[in-house]
Amino acid sequence: MSSAVESFINYKAKTDMQCGSYTIDLPPLGENQQYRFHFDATKCIGCRCCEVACNEQNNNPAEVKWRRVGEIEGGEFPHTFRMFLSMGCNHCIDPWCLKGCPTKSYIKLENGIVVHDDEACIGCQYCTWNCPYDVPVFHKERGIVTKCHMCYERIENSQTPACVQACPEGAIEIEAVDTQKWLEDSIDKEGNAPGLIDARVTNSTTRYTLPKNIPQNYVSADEELIKPAHAETPLVFMTVLTQIAFVGFFALFLGDAAHLMFGLNEPSKYMAPTLFMLGALGLSLSALHLGRPLKGYGALKNVKNSWLSKEALFLGVFTLLAAAVSVMYLSGAGKTLRLIAEAATVAAGAIGIYSQAMIYKIPAKPTWNRNSTIYRFFSTGYIGTLVLALIALVEGDYAIVNILLALSILLGSLQIYLFLESQRFYERSDMNEADKRIVQKSKTLLEEKFKGQYRFRMVTLPLGAVVLPLTADIALNAGSVGFAALFLASAVIISFLSELAGRSLFYLTAVKHSMPGGFFVGTQR
Amino acid sequence: MFSKIKELLKLDIKEDKYALADDPLFGKISKEKKPDRWIKSTCGYCGVGCGLYIGVKNGRATYTKGDPTHDVNLGTLCPKGLSEHQMLYAPNRTLRPKIRKSGKLQDVTWQEAFEYTAKRFKEIQKRYSSGSLAVISTGQLLTEEFYALGKLVQIGLGTNNYDGNTTLCMSSAVMGYKQSFGSDGPVASYEDIAKAQTIFVIGANLADNHPIIVHHLMKNRKNKKIVVIDPRYTKTASLADIYVPIKPRTDLALLNGLAYIIWEQGWYDESFIKNRTNGWREFVKHIQNYKPGETAHITGLDTKTLYQLAKLYANSERSLICWTMGVNQSYQGTDTVSAINNLAIMTGKIGKEGCGPFSITGQCNAMGTREFGFTSSIPGYRSFENDLDRKEYAEIANVPLERVPASRGYKYAEIIEAIEKEEIKALWVVCTNPLVSFPDQKRLRRALKKLDLLVVQDAFMSDTAMIADVIFAAATWGEKEGCYTNSERRCNKANIAVSPPADSKSDFDIFLEFSRYLGLEEMLFKGWKKPLDAFEEIKRVSKGRLCDYSGMSYETIEQKGGIQWPCNEKHPEGCKRLYGEDMPFAHEDGRARFVCADWIPFESESAKKFPFILNTGRTVEHFHTRTKTGTIEILEALAPEAWIEINPTDARRLRVKNYDKITVSSPRGKVENLRVKVTQTVAPGTVFVPFHFNKQLINIVTAPLFDPKSGEPNFKQTAVSLHSEKMPQGVEIRSEIAGTIGYRKEKSADYTDFTSTKKESDVR
Repeated sequence: MSSAVESFINYKAKTDMQCGSYTIDLPPLGENQQYRFHFDATKCIGCRCCEVACNEQNNNPAEVKWRRVGEIEGGEFPHTFRMFLSMGCNHCIDPWCLKGCPTKSYIKLENGIVVHDDEACIGCQYCTWNCPYDVPVFHKERGIVTKCHMCYERIENSQTPACVQACPEGAIEIEAVDTQKWLEDSIDKEGNAPGLIDARVTNSTTRYTLPKNIPQNYVSADEELIKPAHAETPLVFMTVLTQIAFVGFFALFLGDAAHLMFGLNEPSKYMAPTLFMLGALGLSLSALHLGRPLKGYGALKNVKNSWLSKEALFLGVFTLLAAAVSVMYLSGAGKTLRLIAEAATVAAGAIGIYSQAMIYKIPAKPTWNRNSTIYRFFSTGYIGTLVLALIALVEGDYAIVNILLALSILLGSLQIYLFLESQRFYERSDMNEADKRIVQKSKTLLEEKFKGQYRFRMVTLPLGAVVLPLTADIALNAGSVGFAALFLASAVIISFLSELAGRSLFYLTAVKHSMPGGFFVGTQR
Repeated sequence: MFSKIKELLKLDIKEDKYALADDPLFGKISKEKKPDRWIKSTCGYCGVGCGLYIGVKNGRATYTKGDPTHDVNLGTLCPKGLSEHQMLYAPNRTLRPKIRKSGKLQDVTWQEAFEYTAKRFKEIQKRYSSGSLAVISTGQLLTEEFYALGKLVQIGLGTNNYDGNTTLCMSSAVMGYKQSFGSDGPVASYEDIAKAQTIFVIGANLADNHPIIVHHLMKNRKNKKIVVIDPRYTKTASLADIYVPIKPRTDLALLNGLAYIIWEQGWYDESFIKNRTNGWREFVKHIQNYKPGETAHITGLDTKTLYQLAKLYANSERSLICWTMGVNQSYQGTDTVSAINNLAIMTGKIGKEGCGPFSITGQCNAMGTREFGFTSSIPGYRSFENDLDRKEYAEIANVPLERVPASRGYKYAEIIEAIEKEEIKALWVVCTNPLVSFPDQKRLRRALKKLDLLVVQDAFMSDTAMIADVIFAAATWGEKEGCYTNSERRCNKANIAVSPPADSKSDFDIFLEFSRYLGLEEMLFKGWKKPLDAFEEIKRVSKGRLCDYSGMSYETIEQKGGIQWPCNEKHPEGCKRLYGEDMPFAHEDGRARFVCADWIPFESESAKKFPFILNTGRTVEHFHTRTKTGTIEILEALAPEAWIEINPTDARRLRVKNYDKITVSSPRGKVENLRVKVTQTVAPGTVFVPFHFNKQLINIVTAPLFDPKSGEPNFKQTAVSLHSEKMPQGVEIRSEIAGTIGYRKEKSADYTDFTSTKKESDVR
């Protein structure tokens, strides 16, 4: 009844463009050359064929979009300006997804296409933070991250990528680019588009043809659709707990050193095990945020380049050493050896927490991308000293309680200072326009959507970090151990809750660089 | 069990499900969906008529892919077409015939459904009159099905109260063509859109509604001027060289005014007028009322623009005007279409490459029902009033002449009115969903309650099906065979890829089998078994007519990727455009007629109380009333609910921001929970709402105002009031609606400071 032609592989549609045909003629790549997308915004009509064709090609469910279309508007009626932007992966010369991946799941092929090795991926989703275009997308059903690969398997067979084939207006094309020449000059002229981060950040290769009359005050269709970022609950607990364990261990080390050198009372044998348990709990919780928790060990593959691998390695070592130290305390091993072990634990922890903090130093998330993130990650551990103080109090060693409370108030004050600094950050003017837009969205989330949580944080931080520890100290020195214990226990609980709330806000309000989105769907991330 | 655990622990990343495999036709495609066979067919959504292949794997449709050899779409498809196969497995399929028993729709056998309905039809027609049965059909059946249904209704059931939902979209174009040229029939081809040097796109948002036509529009772009005339700055407007922000419903004045300038400047084609038209002198007299000053005043444009447009149109060698619902869905739709035709015939821009007045249709086969559907004319563009036409048809179709109606029955809105007056007691609705698409919903719903019997034939449980007494469970696109005619008269073949689900049947089979229960099979469909049998009769019925199919066969249609009628001995390959030098116009004298029609201003019930003008329309992700696209996840997610486009000036006064909810009201009711979209795409004083959505049903507020000639509703302008949370009483408007013309090329200079140019005087 119906007569299909034999094959369309060699048939050229009469579009005079790459669209329509299922085969594509691409030049062989010379030295320094790679394939890239060319997007012509003067042709795109926002029909979203590319989005649907991509999902049809790759069998992806509706919520996993490798190609997305956004909209920009400006001007004043009838001199309205309207533009659409369709984006897959920009197959960057310095891909941030690849840089940060702890499992080496990203590969930049010889033809420049950045592909994702699905089997290696553990679903840590670090790349979804790192990419300032929001390209990699977590695929729930598969437990891994996936992304646009320019239909490389089609390209390798001279077949047209799905989006290119489907675009009725020929707005998406594949072309070859000389990466050196591109980086020398044209990237600044042709690599940028409204609503995107500067192309130099990752050395994106996509070439844009834009309309000439883009008004300065354009807005994207989803400008006011400000969605909170992922809550990352396992990471909230993981980071706070490991930071507590680290600072606690640091205090323990100092105390043990003072014990050996100046004859201070010996630290309680319960201190190290308590801290170990907190750290170990935190570290194991981190596996819960992985798409494939059982493959978590894969995070150690890229220690050389990935801060996440470093974090996993050093915090892992920290926890193991902490366990060893705990055993030493409980079994009464040699004190010198113990001190050396403690020193090693502290060193591993310091590198671990530093690596942990560096994970967040990424241009894609401006509210994270500052030095105070590192300081905060260290100072959050003041709770560790509170915990130790509580143990000392229970053990009846008031001299040590006094010292620890003083130390904890010192660190707590630093934390309060950093909190105030972060409030001022939202008003800073020395940022570029793109970052400013993002930071203002973060601010809106903080002050509107998460108003209650933010208030809680504001009130509980000084309470838990300074007021209650001080009160506990006063009570102790006034002779009321009961009240001191009550205040101190409250301080531990309240400061812990406060830090969890603060850390949760840190994640929730970290609006990302992405792309202009659609009115209803936003950036589809 | 093991695999479940594996999945829970994410040890299995389903590599196989997301792997690719080699397909011999299309190359690497999804392995899981890789078809075992591809069926060549035509898209079943809109009137563009794209060629495609349906991939079938184990009896299930898994892919739709654009046919690169097809001249219409050259391998591309719109997002609806690309996901069309998903529609077949929608959870809202009707699946089995149903009868309402003790208040609930219950599955029955076909025999019971047919027997019951035949009995009730007969009872009601006997008790009241044969005309007490009415039928409302669609633009989405196959031509063969339309022909069978038309015959069944008009000849068999003996009621001429039969109309289609095409009256909601294309009937003004039909009547406008008839007024001007003597027959229905779109004049040009997509190729002409590609080849034109000047294109006026009037009231047509091609980019959202016909994305594949934009491909042709953007061809030859450097040597082409695109003028978009629309009160709304649509996606299509952003492609224009010149965007003309005309005031709502002043297009007829504009067209008359352009005709005046062309006459005044002597830019008309004297020999064409003399040789091929009638009524020039009267027309010249008529357009004296549309001098540039007056026209500028009416349309909100300036005279310079009017001259520029007239010059561009008249003095380009190849000029084409295309339009859709902005023109048709108007109280003056028919006359506006004729005014477009006037411009074409006064300048001779018709019947030539790159020229022509060109209506773009909305449904996949609105054309098929116009040609052979037996609603607004007797099959083959014959006239009810013409005895010769009736006789000719009766002879060819071998039906008794006295059963061929001598006049057209009630049009869509008149049918509803007759139901209201209890003159019509039984209604058979085929493949359309008035409960979303018809204006003044409250009145419609009140009226339908008065029916003794409502039969709905549909593949989907539409809003209308939910209130039916009987449901005929139909098959849909991909499950049945026949022809669709697209906007450019191209007859395309649609084929069967998969069988209809459960007990559902093709509409063709339903009509034939139902006719048996009515005792009409022998008279109407003797010897018919397949759509091909209807097609053969269509060929005979159309022979020698404008819509001549006599030179076509299913095989040649498929081979050529569709054939544009007339296709006969004279035009064996079909015909790219109508009314070339060798083709006389269809009026008896072979000449086209100038139509003198005056512009009538849009008047609202109470300008003070309802100060905003509401415009309705569509978005690319959805088709009509969403019975199909609403179930396709990827499309539904992109446009999940209705929004209202409001100019920032008005938004400020209503104190609303993006994503707020707002209520629209008119004297007929109110629509709540519309999401505010603050945008410069609409002029102050005007708002836009898509009509697709049944929960935020905008047709509650639209007015029962119809073009007296075509019966088409005036959907595009409704006086409404807006009520926000902070301004529950609404606001008043003092400013003029719409503004000056937007020049794409000249607007960059003073462009960047738009926020400072708001005038206080606009705000009360």
